[in-house]
Amino acid sequence: MAADEAIRIEGLVKRFPRGVTALAGLDLVVEPGQVVGLTGPNGCGKSVTLRVLLGLVRPTAGRVLVFGQPVTPGAGVLARVGALVDGPGFVPHLSGLENLRLAWRLTGRPDVEAHLDAALAVACLGEAIDRPYRTYSHGMRYRLGLAQALLGTPDLLLLDEPTTGLDPAHVRDVRAVIAGVAARGGTILLSSHQLAEVEEVCTHAAFMREGRLVASGRVAELIGSAPTLEVAYLRAAGR
Amino acid sequence: MIRVELAKQARPRTFAALGALAVFAVALAVALALTGADRAEPVGDIPLLLVPAASPFVLPVIALTSTMKFFLPLAVSVFAGEAVAGEAHWGSLRYVLARGVSRSRFLASKAAVAALLSLAAVVLVPAVALAAGVVTAGWQPLPAVDGGASPALHQVRAVFPPDAALARLAVGTAYIAAGMTSIFAFAFFLSTVTARPLVAVAGGVGLTILSRVLNSDYLPGVAVLSPYLPNNDVDLWLHLFQQPGQTDGMLRFLVLQAVYAVAFLALAWWWFTRRDVLS
Repeated sequence: MAADEAIRIEGLVKRFPRGVTALAGLDLVVEPGQVVGLTGPNGCGKSVTLRVLLGLVRPTAGRVLVFGQPVTPGAGVLARVGALVDGPGFVPHLSGLENLRLAWRLTGRPDVEAHLDAALAVACLGEAIDRPYRTYSHGMRYRLGLAQALLGTPDLLLLDEPTTGLDPAHVRDVRAVIAGVAARGGTILLSSHQLAEVEEVCTHAAFMREGRLVASGRVAELIGSAPTLEVAYLRAAGR
Repeated sequence: MIRVELAKQARPRTFAALGALAVFAVALAVALALTGADRAEPVGDIPLLLVPAASPFVLPVIALTSTMKFFLPLAVSVFAGEAVAGEAHWGSLRYVLARGVSRSRFLASKAAVAALLSLAAVVLVPAVALAAGVVTAGWQPLPAVDGGASPALHQVRAVFPPDAALARLAVGTAYIAAGMTSIFAFAFFLSTVTARPLVAVAGGVGLTILSRVLNSDYLPGVAVLSPYLPNNDVDLWLHLFQQPGQTDGMLRFLVLQAVYAVAFLALAWWWFTRRDVLS
């Protein structure tokens, strides 16, 4: 166990009750300050990996550490983690601002530690922040989701398909947020099946296939002699 | 955490459910006033006759009797069934838990607020009806005719002073509130299992209906099951308004509620602290 590692995953297995094996022995290490793109085809176990890291899904076998602490449901170390997984989720009849405030109060930490102004700047909702969440457009909801993930300036940010379904302007905003977190030394693990995006925003990449790690390393090293990361992935995955 | 949960539940659905129960109590008072409040009304399934115009305590007794077998279980099922499943349905459950919030604490706060709202629903009905009763009848003793004990030519009539009637009404309300715990616990358990609030609400209502259908009063063949069903003896409190008051079966019913509540709340906790959150 290394406390200076942001994430350590060893032999992670997740089998769901109906016999579906989502993870079949995943090993992964993410160092602090890295922006790691977890990539692979749909159903390869990316989202489940993120949910295990958040204590939402219990592993069948294996070990998961975040900042050297084992992840279990409600683990204290999760206070250092922000996440946007499977899209945003808020109380529909409350305003964006009320949702952010309530989300933070649930942590039991002082309001001043939320850095709400910084999160609101990411949400960039203007006066709409006081409107009920149910009236928001898809892009507005997504930005509020990002703002919620950034409450408390987390040391580790987990993003699941962060730009899927967004228009180009919102994609640019999300990438700016990722760049901002990386610039302050934060660690990001983002799952994406868009290899061009991983190539553009990540320092490192991890290729998954059928619940296992196929290859990982710096993006430039993984590309090697291949023209793009996508070609490098297809070669590594044996396709 | 409870304050956060209360803030989430301060929403139109909550106000609509509580408001509907209050309106029902007022509508009952108006209906009785229009159709003859001087006439003795049979109350519940026992031979108890009360005259609405005679005392302010008649309206709350009739209002509770009218709601305790369906409308109150429905309201309780809504509050309990939506507690966790509603959060999952919104997609916010994963974010609450991903912040390192203890699942046990989260579940306890959900149960506490749902229980508070359920209690508010049960108390609201007699409170509004009593207020309407005071307006229409003043602060009067409660005369009650025990039809079962009355021979053909002589009514057995008990008169309860206002404080005694109020005390019996309070005990009856508490008894009904306790009688909702089985439905509450079952709907709350379902709420931890499904991400569809309607399923959990329907489960609570379904248990209420099942309990009423499998009642030995209507189906003698299921007499062996009847004592163990959660909603059948919720009306025993009406015997408190006979003279002398009868409490037969009430303690057994309360023990049954406790068994249901402990079993399903424990099951909810066991399941929720172990389940994978995929919603």
